[in-house]
Amino acid sequence: MLEIKHTLCPSCSVGCGLNVIINNGEIVGTFPYKRHPVNAGKNCLNGRNSIECYQNKFDKAIVSKSETDIEKAIEEVSKELGSADSSNITIICSGNNDMEEIEAIKEFGESKNFNLAFYADNLKDFADVASYDEVAGASKVFVIGDLLYENPLIGRRIVHAKQNGAEIYALGKAEESVTFNIADETSNSTVEEFLENVKGNIDDDSVIVFNYVDSQDDLDKIEALNCKCLPVFSKSNSKGTLGIIEPKSLDEMLELLDNTKVLLVFNDDIADELEYDFSKISKIISFAPCSNKTTEISDIVIPTKTWLEKEGSFVNAMGETQTFTAAVESDALSEIEIIEKLNG
Amino acid sequence: MSYVLAKSQNDDIHKAGECGGAVTSILKYLLDEEIVDGVLALSPQNDVYDATPTFITESDDLLSAAGSYHCAPTMIGDLVQKYLFDKKVAITVKPCDMRAVEELIIRHKINRDNIYLIGLNCGGTVSPVSGRKMIDLFYEADPDDVVSEEIDKGKFIIELADGSEEAVKIHDLEEEGYGRRNNCQRCDVKIPRKANIACGNWGAEDGWTFIEINDEKGQELIDGAKKAGILETKNPAQGAIDGREKVEGIMIKMAKKVQDATYPTVSEMDEWSRCISCYACRDVCPICWCFENCELNKPYFKDEQNIPPTPIAFQGVRLSHMSFSCVDCGQCDDVCPMDIPVSLIFDKLQKKYFNRTGYVAGVSDDIKPPLYSPEKTEL
Ligand SMILES: Cc1cc2nc3c(=O)[nH]c(=O)nc-3n(C[C@H](O)[C@H](O)[C@H](O)COP(=O)(O)OP(=O)(O)OC[C@H]3O[C@@H](n4cnc5c(N)ncnc54)[C@H](O)[C@@H]3O)c2cc1C
Ligand code: SF4
Ligand code: SF4
Ligand code: SF4
Ligand code: SF4
Repeated sequence: MLEIKHTLCPSCSVGCGLNVIINNGEIVGTFPYKRHPVNAGKNCLNGRNSIECYQNKFDKAIVSKSETDIEKAIEEVSKELGSADSSNITIICSGNNDMEEIEAIKEFGESKNFNLAFYADNLKDFADVASYDEVAGASKVFVIGDLLYENPLIGRRIVHAKQNGAEIYALGKAEESVTFNIADETSNSTVEEFLENVKGNIDDDSVIVFNYVDSQDDLDKIEALNCKCLPVFSKSNSKGTLGIIEPKSLDEMLELLDNTKVLLVFNDDIADELEYDFSKISKIISFAPCSNKTTEISDIVIPTKTWLEKEGSFVNAMGETQTFTAAVESDALSEIEIIEKLNG
Repeated sequence: MSYVLAKSQNDDIHKAGECGGAVTSILKYLLDEEIVDGVLALSPQNDVYDATPTFITESDDLLSAAGSYHCAPTMIGDLVQKYLFDKKVAITVKPCDMRAVEELIIRHKINRDNIYLIGLNCGGTVSPVSGRKMIDLFYEADPDDVVSEEIDKGKFIIELADGSEEAVKIHDLEEEGYGRRNNCQRCDVKIPRKANIACGNWGAEDGWTFIEINDEKGQELIDGAKKAGILETKNPAQGAIDGREKVEGIMIKMAKKVQDATYPTVSEMDEWSRCISCYACRDVCPICWCFENCELNKPYFKDEQNIPPTPIAFQGVRLSHMSFSCVDCGQCDDVCPMDIPVSLIFDKLQKKYFNRTGYVAGVSDDIKPPLYSPEKTEL
């Protein structure tokens, strides 16, 4: 049977809708979800490729590089948690977890006195953020990062702003970028210098859109500008998670990892994201639906449901809560079910 | 070619159908008599702006798919070739769907013997998100209260739950940048004559569907559905036939006017400068059928090292591979994250090819796809 079902893209914080094609119970492709208000059926390559996680999902747990029964692997996890001091056990959760999972992970970590680490691209929460429509309607857009290339469905709002006559000021790390191609002024300076230079240009209808900063100080400077801003994260529910867990800066993350003996990673690829010598940590345990750099270096991997197999909600970059339902049925355990098992 | 007016003998279908419910009745006949394994039609998921292709195998489920969805600019070419190739299916097709299917048939990607094409005339489709915004801006009604919409006599008409209607001239909406999608404003194939039958409201009396029977298979459909007791037909008056032809002519003339006005306006290099090489336009294009074997997936075309990407090579390959067969369905525009008017660029080249060769993609009776014709290399 051929079916098309609605879901959300899990690949960045824009919150695009995505349709998946299901043939005989298996996800075989994507289809434009043109009714979705965020992206009107448009998805970038990352978004369309996000179903690969389902197609390559784990069907067995892995303990010390060999496939194992899930129940046995969970017992191993419990043993590891019992063998270390709770102050040396760190949980990493991320914007890849949905709201319900984040609540459950937080409760689990707090009840066991584990360290809780959440990394949001070295960014932080801003209470009042610009909506996507406000970006499109801005008189001037100050763009930090190659938003057109990296978060295209917000990039599209910057294109709209340009088409509406806005001036675009773009900062990037590389000499060239797609955003530079549409910008009136471009810069390769530090974020601090960029903010200093554009300060006098900001008016009531300006918006700052950014997906990176050089340091936490830059975030305070952006806040002090009194201009609408929109931080854009690399993960679908970073904004939602920020409302529940205080994020750690890059330096704080590295310091915490230095004090960690057992690391529990809930659906994140921290090994890809942070430059750190993870071999210093005695045990790494990953809860993940499919392989990534972190599962590759993990001692134990517990397979979890992919987002296509569960229901939940994400909060997108502009602060809207969006719910999704399971596109296919699955016997895999959700993170919440795994936590329940770990709680005994 | 012949014409009939047709209506359903089934009250529920007649009520749910857009005109006479003839299309739904014919689909029911095909399923009930087990002539097809399934029907690929459209059915709304959450509301009227959200109609999505649905594969129906039980005729009871057809009712939920009845009606015309003008805010559903879908394309079924890919679905048929990838997932339904071995199945006997009946498909409801707008002219652009039909043209894509035709192009895929000549590339042996769809087997003509396996499919019934139930054509729907088409005056155009509206993108759901901008359609809702349009209703919000130009109508008194709340877009959420709309239960159905139609395009008739040059107006976009919405119907609300209490039965009341509101209409605004499409011309006025399009002047303001709303209304039908840009490619639909240019589309000059309004009646799908390569489908077995072409159904519409042009020339139809109230409660009836006007059907142009295009071939023998189409005649068998009408005869079969009548014999099964689900369809009633009568002959249309000559005035209705003439009136329909006249409206078709006016629509085509309007489309040509838009073509002439828009082809010169597009500045390809400017547009490509914001292309992020995401390949969404290729992946959605019903004519780009190579998938994994696509030339652009070969290592020498891989563009991953280049940020920003250099889309010219990619767009050039695609233009030279398939623009001759572009059916101007607008899917590439719809999915482009950068709002590049891709279809305008491809359709413009197709029309250039047409001017040289007379080849209308998905309509002309050529056996071989234009890819293999000598004129291609000249362009
Ligand atoms: C977008 C659109 C524009 C149209 N414009 C014209 C026009 O300008 N002039 C004219 O004469 N006729 C037009 N028609 C055709 C007309 O509205 C009726 O569909 C046709 O007369 C058949 O009526 P019916 O009662 O027999 O169909 P029904 O019994 O109601 O069955 C219609 C079938 O079409 C399918 N369908 C609905 N929307 C779509 C879609 N967007 N794409 C593919 N399949 C779909 C439904 O799922 C259903 O199976 C248009 C139809 C559509 C969908
Ligand atoms: S922009 Fe982000 S949310 Fe949208 S399709 Fe791309 S990865 Fe997914
Ligand atoms: S391209 Fe033509 S056939 Fe297709 S939806 Fe637009 S007007 Fe209708
Ligand atoms: S190039 Fe665009 S308009 Fe032309 S057939 Fe492909 S998707 Fe349709
Ligand atoms: S969809 Fe748009 S941005 Fe993506 S490759 Fe095509 S033209 Fe470029």
